[in-house]
Amino acid sequence: MFAAIGTVEPTLVVLLYSSLAAGVAAAGVLPLAGGRTLPTHWIGWSNALAGGLMLGVAYALLVSAHDPVPLGGALGGLLGILVVNRTHAASGTANLDLNRLHETSPDYGYKVLLVNGIHSAAEGVAIGAAMAVNLSFGVFTALAIAVHNVPEGTVLAAILTSRRVRLRDAAGLAVATNAGQVLLAIVTFALIVAAPGLMPWALGFAVGSLVYLVLAELLPECYREAGSTSIALVTLVAMGVVALLVSLGPGG
Amino acid sequence: MDLVIVVFLYGLVTALATGLGAVPFAFVRQLSPRITAQSNAVASGLMLGASFGLVAEGTQYGGWQTIIGGVGGVLFILVTHTILKRYDLEFGGSRGVGARRALLMLVVMTVHSFAEGVAVGVSFGGGMTLALVIVIAIAVHNIPEGLAISAVMRPRGTSVLGCAMWSVVSSLPQPIMAVPAFLLVDTFTRVLPYGIGFAAGAMVFMVIEELLPEAYGQDQRHGVAITVSVTLLAMVIFQQHL
Repeated sequence: MFAAIGTVEPTLVVLLYSSLAAGVAAAGVLPLAGGRTLPTHWIGWSNALAGGLMLGVAYALLVSAHDPVPLGGALGGLLGILVVNRTHAASGTANLDLNRLHETSPDYGYKVLLVNGIHSAAEGVAIGAAMAVNLSFGVFTALAIAVHNVPEGTVLAAILTSRRVRLRDAAGLAVATNAGQVLLAIVTFALIVAAPGLMPWALGFAVGSLVYLVLAELLPECYREAGSTSIALVTLVAMGVVALLVSLGPGG
Repeated sequence: MDLVIVVFLYGLVTALATGLGAVPFAFVRQLSPRITAQSNAVASGLMLGASFGLVAEGTQYGGWQTIIGGVGGVLFILVTHTILKRYDLEFGGSRGVGARRALLMLVVMTVHSFAEGVAVGVSFGGGMTLALVIVIAIAVHNIPEGLAISAVMRPRGTSVLGCAMWSVVSSLPQPIMAVPAFLLVDTFTRVLPYGIGFAAGAMVFMVIEELLPEAYGQDQRHGVAITVSVTLLAMVIFQQHL
């Protein structure tokens, strides 16, 4: 698969794989098919799984350059943390819990969609930057984020269906909130191709924002839904799998 | 001087440097819940950053071996945790859950020093010039590790001097392991990825299972998230530039 990538127009590769990552989010509704509801601890584990994969991707991006992180990378990292933090604060989503299945206010519903949209933008930068390192590594990152989007889609769908949104609409919304991922992936990739000096900035930005998102959004409420031991185990398994694949995988 | 003694003394210097990590706590008077949360967040960031660096190094020797070591590290903490839960502990000025967490932190960081000691010893196989650079590097990077230990122990009532002492104790395996690793470079090079994985697995597990939930319980989540992410990035960059 990785050998064939070299023959395709690079921007098309970015478009295809970032779209795949966004589209896969629809699969997140499958555990809820047939009107099933999700036990609360499963929501915790889904968030932990998504968080572990995201930390794994951040690790992969950090070690991808093989060189020490330059000043631009460090500043990009700080910028990534700051941008997500300020976006959360400005949109009133800084303390939003992604687990309130019985919350019925319209305000909460919109904020959940918004927070998922912000979240996917950072992932788009990660995919675009990784594609610019090399396409194989970019595909690997996009696939890791695609897998991460599934449990994330499950959590979103659980909230939406508990608000009487139909399952197929929940699937559509899960994909729609990830649309920013495709756009940001292509823009980031194009910017780095045009100005390679931006590479450490983009990689740093992606790492900073992904790590911050895990710590501010995915992990905090997990602990209330499932015990800290099981949360730690799920997160670690996800991180370990990504770290192992990075060490075995294509030109990370 | 016998080269073995040189290796041991260098290792000892790296251990003593760990005690310097307690110094910032000499300037912190009031230990409010917020400071406890932020201390836990600093320790979490330092340990996650250190683990990122360790895994990157370990997987260069062998990906599977590092992961197998990581599984061992997690199991080790689970077992230690279960054993510690059975006793009403008193340690470093605190009792119960606080004492257990402080002791667990110390165990994790001590175990991680074994792997680092092996890394120091193995690095001596590459010649004395490289080794000296690595010893200075490890000594300097032990300071934040002492900071991580103090950040967990100080809010639970351990004195600043106590924090410094326990930090040094946690690093003592470094000189002890550096000598056999130096003498048996080939053997230890093979063991190294397992040891590195073990240390990283134990540290990340400690962070996600113990330190982060406590931090979230005592401060706003974005305050914790900022401290952990900035410290993590700083630790990774700090280690890479040494």
